[in-house]
Amino acid sequence: MKISVELFGAAREFSKTKYLEFNFSKSCKLIDIKKKLYEHVDNKFNGNLNYKEIIKSSAFCSDKDQLIKENQILNKNQIIGIIPPIGGG
Amino acid sequence: MLHAKIIDSSIEKIEISKAEHFLKSEKFGAVIYFIGVVRDNNENKKVNGITYDAKDTMVIKSFEEIYNETEQKLGIKNKAVFIEHVKGHLKLSEKSILIGVACKHRDEAYRLSRFIIEEIKKRSPIWKKEHYENEDSEWLKGISLTT
Repeated sequence: MKISVELFGAAREFSKTKYLEFNFSKSCKLIDIKKKLYEHVDNKFNGNLNYKEIIKSSAFCSDKDQLIKENQILNKNQIIGIIPPIGGG
Repeated sequence: MLHAKIIDSSIEKIEISKAEHFLKSEKFGAVIYFIGVVRDNNENKKVNGITYDAKDTMVIKSFEEIYNETEQKLGIKNKAVFIEHVKGHLKLSEKSILIGVACKHRDEAYRLSRFIIEEIKKRSPIWKKEHYENEDSEWLKGISLTT
């Protein structure tokens, strides 16, 4: 199963592409996706603490623009969005 | 009546005339425009521009939700609201947001305008990356939507 994480705001610094893609052998929860993101930061950015803080403080949303709960099970290929702390206007 | 739109700064700009046209009605005696613009400093750093990022569909949804809440939370039934927010790069003094509201009386219009901008700041997934005179840039810290 493939989960694509669309990057927004400060999380855009995680990659030159718009998405990060992670494969899971079966269903996953948000905590599993966060683990993959932390690993990505460890591997690509030498464990950059600021980037890890962004992951920690971010919400995640489904392809229907609804916030994903920590224990919600994702069991099909989909695109989700990482929503770092906001501040428009 | 609501107009809500994300403006891609590489294609178009926020124009007050569009809001004036949308809000014009003989029913309303008070019209207020709130305009956010890019200023040249923040926390003692000289700013020369801002790049705005947005999750467009979620932003529009949040604008609609905020608008829909105003009747219950503020008791304002008859109104017209025009909201546009920019996505992309802006130079100093360029407009990042325009909130136009039209109501029967001024008290309602002032309250409505203030409510909308404060809720957008708290709820709409929009981000700012400031660009500084020394060529550094930084995403601004904001409000977390985690529960």
